[in-house]
Amino acid sequence: MMIDGNHNPEDVTRVLFESFPGWAVGVFYVVGFGAIAVFLYGCFVQYRKYARGQSLRKVLPPLKDRLLQMVVSVGTHRTLRRRDRSAGYAHALIFFGFALLFIGTATITLEYDILAPLIGLKFWHGNFYLLFSLALDLAGLWLVAGLVYMMARRGWLKPPKLNYARPDRAADAPDANRSFYQFEDWAFLCLLIIIGITGFVLEGARLLWLQNTPTVWDYRWWSPVGAVVANALSLVGFTPEGAGSLRISIWWFHAIISLTFIALIPYSKAKHIFTAMSSLALRDPLPVQKLPPVDMSADTVGASKITDFNWKQLLNFDACTKCGRCHEACPANASGAPLSPRDLILTLRELAENTLEGIRQPEPEKLIAQGNGVFQVPTETLWACRTCAACVEICPVGIEHVPVIVEMRRALVEQGDMDPLVQKALQNIQKRGNSFGETKKKRPAWTKKLDFEIKDARTEAVDVLWFVGDFASFDPRYQRVSMDFARILKAANIDFGILYEDESNSGNDVRRVGEEGLYQHLAESNIALLNDCDFKRVVTTDPHSFNTIKNEYPEFGGNYDVEHASAFLARLLDEERIPLKKGLDGRRVTFHDPCHLGRYNKGYDGPRDAIRKLGADLVEMKRCRDNSFCCGAGGGRIWTPDPVGKEKPSENRVREAATIEGLETIVVSCPKCMNMLEDARKTTNNEDNFEIREVVELIAECLDDSAISVVAQEHVAEPA
Amino acid sequence: MKILVPVKQVEILDEDFDVQDDGRSIDPDCIEFELNEWDDYSWETALQLMEKHEGTVEAVPMTVGDESADDGLRKCLAKGGERAIRVWDDSVAGSDPIAIARLIAAAAKKEDAQLVLAGTQSTDQAHGQTGIAVAALLGWPHVAVVSALDYSAADGKLTVRRELEGGVEEEIEVALPAVLTIQLGINEPRYASLRGIKQAKTKTVDLLSPADLGVSTDQLGETGSAARVRRMYIPERSKAELITGTPPEQVKRLIEIVNELKGA
Repeated sequence: MMIDGNHNPEDVTRVLFESFPGWAVGVFYVVGFGAIAVFLYGCFVQYRKYARGQSLRKVLPPLKDRLLQMVVSVGTHRTLRRRDRSAGYAHALIFFGFALLFIGTATITLEYDILAPLIGLKFWHGNFYLLFSLALDLAGLWLVAGLVYMMARRGWLKPPKLNYARPDRAADAPDANRSFYQFEDWAFLCLLIIIGITGFVLEGARLLWLQNTPTVWDYRWWSPVGAVVANALSLVGFTPEGAGSLRISIWWFHAIISLTFIALIPYSKAKHIFTAMSSLALRDPLPVQKLPPVDMSADTVGASKITDFNWKQLLNFDACTKCGRCHEACPANASGAPLSPRDLILTLRELAENTLEGIRQPEPEKLIAQGNGVFQVPTETLWACRTCAACVEICPVGIEHVPVIVEMRRALVEQGDMDPLVQKALQNIQKRGNSFGETKKKRPAWTKKLDFEIKDARTEAVDVLWFVGDFASFDPRYQRVSMDFARILKAANIDFGILYEDESNSGNDVRRVGEEGLYQHLAESNIALLNDCDFKRVVTTDPHSFNTIKNEYPEFGGNYDVEHASAFLARLLDEERIPLKKGLDGRRVTFHDPCHLGRYNKGYDGPRDAIRKLGADLVEMKRCRDNSFCCGAGGGRIWTPDPVGKEKPSENRVREAATIEGLETIVVSCPKCMNMLEDARKTTNNEDNFEIREVVELIAECLDDSAISVVAQEHVAEPA
Repeated sequence: MKILVPVKQVEILDEDFDVQDDGRSIDPDCIEFELNEWDDYSWETALQLMEKHEGTVEAVPMTVGDESADDGLRKCLAKGGERAIRVWDDSVAGSDPIAIARLIAAAAKKEDAQLVLAGTQSTDQAHGQTGIAVAALLGWPHVAVVSALDYSAADGKLTVRRELEGGVEEEIEVALPAVLTIQLGINEPRYASLRGIKQAKTKTVDLLSPADLGVSTDQLGETGSAARVRRMYIPERSKAELITGTPPEQVKRLIEIVNELKGA
């Protein structure tokens, strides 16, 4: 090349295939197209796998909303930064570095291979090129920096959630060992970092080689990393010619390894580039709150084979990056149950990979997803789930684990395969409409202890229809809360009533156990009853009933204005409609968020507002709000005792609260949490240290109920 | 092989119940019915045999009772099996276990069953007779209170186990045809989903009269029964009381009780 001191800055451009003989360029194109062909075939295999799943039965929000939500999630990395900020930022460096480099390379291809040959358009020169060169150099730096952190994290920091030991397999099970994923993790990181580093070496070698070309050398600081490498090469003795031959070998190495990476994307964890984004774009706003509908007239119900899952779920399985956030959040896993949401998803992914990626689908027996074999999910794993949604809530790529578990439970229920105690509870509900096995007559028995009568919403119009729920009606401890709630409503002059004997179990947990037929029966009978009553809103102290009435009853024709008692009471307190005679005087309390109120329905603030309004000193536990730790009672687990000898979720929770110095009260806002935490308080020997109280009870404690007594007397004075 | 599984809807009493004016039965308003617990286990045993020997073993639940007894059969059919048998007409009312056994034995013959799997006893009456009586009427061998069972299709023999006192187990080989009464805990009965129960409504329940089975009415009901209920009553309950309070208070209460009992 001629030395020309007066070159036109517009001539500055990307050096491409410089000095390459025609055959070498040809070889590169052959290899390149080969890699793309392998990539495309891999994508097709994945597509064919997903196409072997069922169609979606649930209607998702409009595509544009979901895409926007995905773009925002990916763009801000908000889901990746949660509960692991440094990994989130490191991923952002890798992601944006990779994305920019990809865009850069794609733009070169666009100009060189498409626009220039076709319409003679060239834009890859001058200032545009220089800015791009700078940006891509920085992108490469981000990429390498992010990868270095991730390697340090895996190699030295070793967070426990990245340990792939499985709680759902015996140590000697043939598929107990998942260390091959570690090999893949490292291979992925190494491949990317080699691509990044060789890119810089290549750039440096090229600069040094072309140091006599002013359109290259004079502008080298627009590629700062490359320029530093060029200087370094020169320092260690490389001549321009030596750099030229280094450039040729590094060029081919960089090209081959980059093309290999592209070819491997659909076959390796790199596919999460696509599956994670698709999974986020398919996110269901109410995945657990409103479980997927069931075609009750179909031959089979639920998922027993891998092909019984829908294509979105099959895609979800492939989106998992094993980040371990769900594994860490899961209360079942924390209490030693054989369930890790991560391992469940990976097992199903492996089953799908091994059965649905071939040209032909294997015979149906090989597709069975539930069992004790390789690539199968054991029944104990499925029944260990509390449906607390901690996994779904934290998953950075939008995997919806709980509906997967419920679909598999539905199949088990259909086969009649479940714990005898769950069976008993369901039979009680079938027969008597409540899980306690009590007669219908006894449901309103607790109201007799009140010194006033609660209106019968079946026969009288009321403002507030109080859906009491099973535990609030039959559990002796919580009956006290129900009575307090009645007294508060009375004192606040609320016009309210209950359904007495005719209320049935709301069905929330029945549905989460997977007994869809019974759920629909319960929902339909409650809805038929409610539709015959005259009321303005439904209020309940039970977050489980609250959830299903709010989110699931509409599907069966029950559309009501529903409010949880905590929010309702907080509002009444705010409006100063509840007469109070005292406050809580800085009592040191903490609040345990019920899953069905908090994570499910974002009811984080109602109970807190009420607690603060009463003047208590609310100290938060470390795991609070969206990261609240389930008491262990959800998903039907209230009906089965946890195994002896292991720490129960409720005990784990009470011990967490016990670390708060001077704690006087754990406040709950759910009958089931009350039941579980009361037990755990005793089994952890904390009986003398603090008490478990409902938000309702705290208000009742401060209530000025002189008004009620008057009302009660009037009531007595009235002729019957 | 065909297995006949006689099942029964048993009476579950409310917490508060009354004896009828005739003094021989409970007020029906205080009674709910459900499938006898032992029959859940005998039906599960039959289903497991049917599933293990697919295509060669058929299990049929049967009951003796009026229309309301269909619920019990539906619950069985919800778990498996294709058809059920219900035997009833008014002449059956008031039958004792032996008279009921006549109908079951006749049904076993009519169905050409080789095995009858009954529950050991019923939760409401607890006679523990029906199954054994069926064996006697048919002249078949029987084993009572069976806690494990294995069937070999090749030689048509059953190997069954019984639990004896002191932790001893007994293993018995029985040739077919035979009658077994099944003990609780022999298996883990499966759950009948509500969807299954609803779907079972499309399955057949053959309604037979005693005449269809060739059992004459004088062998049934109160006339055909050797035993009849004379009286049903609630025995007087003994009382217990926890005496609390300070020692003087406790002594005071104790003296009161003694005086009460003396009739003072």
